[in-house]
Amino acid sequence: MTDVIATSGLVKTFGKTVALDGLDLGVAAGEVHGFLGPNGAGKSTTIRVLLGLLRADAGDVRLFDGDPWRDAVDLHRRLAYVPGDVELWPNLTGGEAIDLFARLRGGFDQRRRDELCERFDLDPTKKGRTYSKGNRQKVALISALASDVELLLLDEPTAGLDPLMEAVFQDCIREVREAGRTVLLSSHILAQVEVLADRISIIRHGRIVESGSLAELRHLHRITITAETTQSADALTDLPGVHAFEHIDGQVRFEVDGDRVDETVRALAPLGVRSLVAHPPTLEQLLMRHYGDELAARTNPRNGAGR
Amino acid sequence: MTTATVERAATATATSGSRFTGVGTLVRFLLRRDRIKLPAWTGGLGLFVLYLAAALPNFAGTEEDLRGAAQLFNDPVGRLMIGPGYGFDDPTFERFVANGYGLYFALLAALMSILLVVRHTRLEEQTGRAELVRADRVGRSAPLTATVLVAVITNVVGGLLVFVMLVGYAGFAVQGSLVFAAAIAATGLAFAGVTTITVQLSQYARAAAGMAGGALGLAYLLRAGGDMGAQGGTGLSWTSPLAWPQQTAPFVLDRWWPLALSLGFAVVTTATGFVLSERRDLGASWLATRPGSAEGTESLGTPLGLALRLQRSGILGWGISLAIGGLAFGAYADAMLDAFGELPDVYAELFGGGDQLLAGYLAYMAVFMAYLVAAFAVTAVQGLRSEETGGRLEPVLATPVGRWTWLGSNLAVIAGAVVVMMAVAGFFSGVGAALVTGDVRHLWELTVAHLNQVPAVWVVLAMATLLFGVLPRAVPAAWALVAFGLIAGTFGPLLDLPEAVLDLSPFAPAAAMPLEGFRFAPVLVLTLLAAGIAAVGFLAFRRRDLDLT
Repeated sequence: MTDVIATSGLVKTFGKTVALDGLDLGVAAGEVHGFLGPNGAGKSTTIRVLLGLLRADAGDVRLFDGDPWRDAVDLHRRLAYVPGDVELWPNLTGGEAIDLFARLRGGFDQRRRDELCERFDLDPTKKGRTYSKGNRQKVALISALASDVELLLLDEPTAGLDPLMEAVFQDCIREVREAGRTVLLSSHILAQVEVLADRISIIRHGRIVESGSLAELRHLHRITITAETTQSADALTDLPGVHAFEHIDGQVRFEVDGDRVDETVRALAPLGVRSLVAHPPTLEQLLMRHYGDELAARTNPRNGAGR
Repeated sequence: MTTATVERAATATATSGSRFTGVGTLVRFLLRRDRIKLPAWTGGLGLFVLYLAAALPNFAGTEEDLRGAAQLFNDPVGRLMIGPGYGFDDPTFERFVANGYGLYFALLAALMSILLVVRHTRLEEQTGRAELVRADRVGRSAPLTATVLVAVITNVVGGLLVFVMLVGYAGFAVQGSLVFAAAIAATGLAFAGVTTITVQLSQYARAAAGMAGGALGLAYLLRAGGDMGAQGGTGLSWTSPLAWPQQTAPFVLDRWWPLALSLGFAVVTTATGFVLSERRDLGASWLATRPGSAEGTESLGTPLGLALRLQRSGILGWGISLAIGGLAFGAYADAMLDAFGELPDVYAELFGGGDQLLAGYLAYMAVFMAYLVAAFAVTAVQGLRSEETGGRLEPVLATPVGRWTWLGSNLAVIAGAVVVMMAVAGFFSGVGAALVTGDVRHLWELTVAHLNQVPAVWVVLAMATLLFGVLPRAVPAAWALVAFGLIAGTFGPLLDLPEAVLDLSPFAPAAAMPLEGFRFAPVLVLTLLAAGIAAVGFLAFRRRDLDLT
């Protein structure tokens, strides 16, 4: 499978701020790629470099077979973009804006566009200034989804949409994948990425710190086990690979490294297991692992410094 | 429950809220928000007095000069533009300032009040900020009441500043100065009143301001038609809130009673605004919003079509204003001929001197229109900049539309609009001039004279484009070129600026048609210069990052 997006060592600075600090991102053709990170990590900057709206200071970027800065116009025929904060012209209706973007991209499917308006419950006759944030987002989404393109670049596309619309969005992305198109989905909504993404890249301070399928990432990380035993399970704390052991309501809960699960479960079995729940790390936990220190420092500066 | 909460509950029930709860806090809040704007506006009114008092002796130093200038204003076309012309039979500096320029003070106060009321009522509702405020312990009518109070404070302060400047700096008579200052403040309040109604009518701040501005325009037209009829105005004049302040005739009749009309009008309109405001939901309006087209046309889906669509209303507005302005300037030609010989020398110098005063006047008007159209061009490039900073350019450039295509389409529309506007301004100047002189040749002559200035405007447009490409934050600096052209062209001879400095203005090289014959060289040079400067802007725009939020 060929890479639709490939960057290596990408650097972008704004004055003294380093937005991208050696970013290596790869997105294969036909996959939905989740691009995860909090605000300010560099997600939007990456996408704008991919669009040729910003020029990278250093590093390589390939989009399809071209250079996004030099070949912007040709590359843009093959993609559609939905910004995180959609701004519309106050005196153009939503319908006009949808058609405008789709026509600039080089044509669209009228039937599909009307069907999408229906599904997203958008009134296209309203003027841009009357739309709420969610409705402006729908305008950009409908226009992108109605266009016949190979790649969708979506920058937090569902911010401001309600849960019903979120479900419609997820259906649409599945259809896009079935049609063999590629999606780069930037988000900080973990549940969305967990459900939709084939592969995930986690960005932090302008670098990709983790990349792979959800299964691959899980393998590397700890599994959480909650158990109730007849005998004391305290001895498990001495096992290698067991972390964050605690007692909760007569049960024990601990995390165990992905490659130590087998021996930990063997040690647990003789203790008279009454109940046992094991679950793989949620994306939340994966993210927290990379951002946890920052969070701790922010919520409790003294603790953070002490560790 | 702690003592604190008990006490709070007690005070809450002790002072039961009314429709006006929170007015005091809101007034302080509005004054704080406008701490730059209000001093700027009211100070501007005061500085206008300062400027007139300082500049007038230069323009019309002797009594003879003053008489000549007053005669120009007292002609029907002069009255159409200036007002009823009280005291122009026997002009003094005081009378000339108050009755020659009073209309412009009144217009400034009206605009200040319109913008103030819209800013603090409808704009707050449109943005949703009013919801936050009204969710606090704030009465239903408190925001509008606070706005009206701030409008009163602002207009009174503005009036006081004008009064102090007139008496203190210019040394004018106290009685007349007081009447003049009060008339300006009362006019501001009258249009604040109108605006309290229009902000109830539309959901959008811009539309509400537009409607109030339309009312101001209507008042101007009624007054213009009425005042043209006879010195002192006619019955038609009295239908216009913009005529009332001038009917006080400061330093001539010094009458107070026309201001009762202004204040009465302010009270009735404001009361109507309150009634309309209390009978609607927050954020709602009395005029329903019309749905637009559900689909975009084929032509909108091209870069040129988009540029045309977005700039259409602006071009139309400027075009209509220029047509009306041209008509008025042209119609002034006859009065210029009549006043010829009695005008202050400064005018003769400004219009090229010699005995061809009419041709000189018309040539100056062509350049003056070029300043205005250059202002349009700079505004239009600022519009492109706000497309970029407003986040609307980003999704367009994310489609297969290149930067040059986008910028080129927009500049083509602007440059084309410049040509059309100059032609329209010239044609209507010609119509105006032909109407009063009976010489139909003006039509052709003035259209060509105006088109002759197009390359100068293109140079300004190109400079703005250069800034947009190289240093986008500095696009407003292009205004300096327009201002320099205006000052050099209008006051240059007066200020004794060296020739070399005056020649730097892009408006200087072209032949002063119809005073002089057409010269091809300046047109060619300016056009090439504009193309060269714009090309650098294009190159730079493709190399720089977009300004993104």
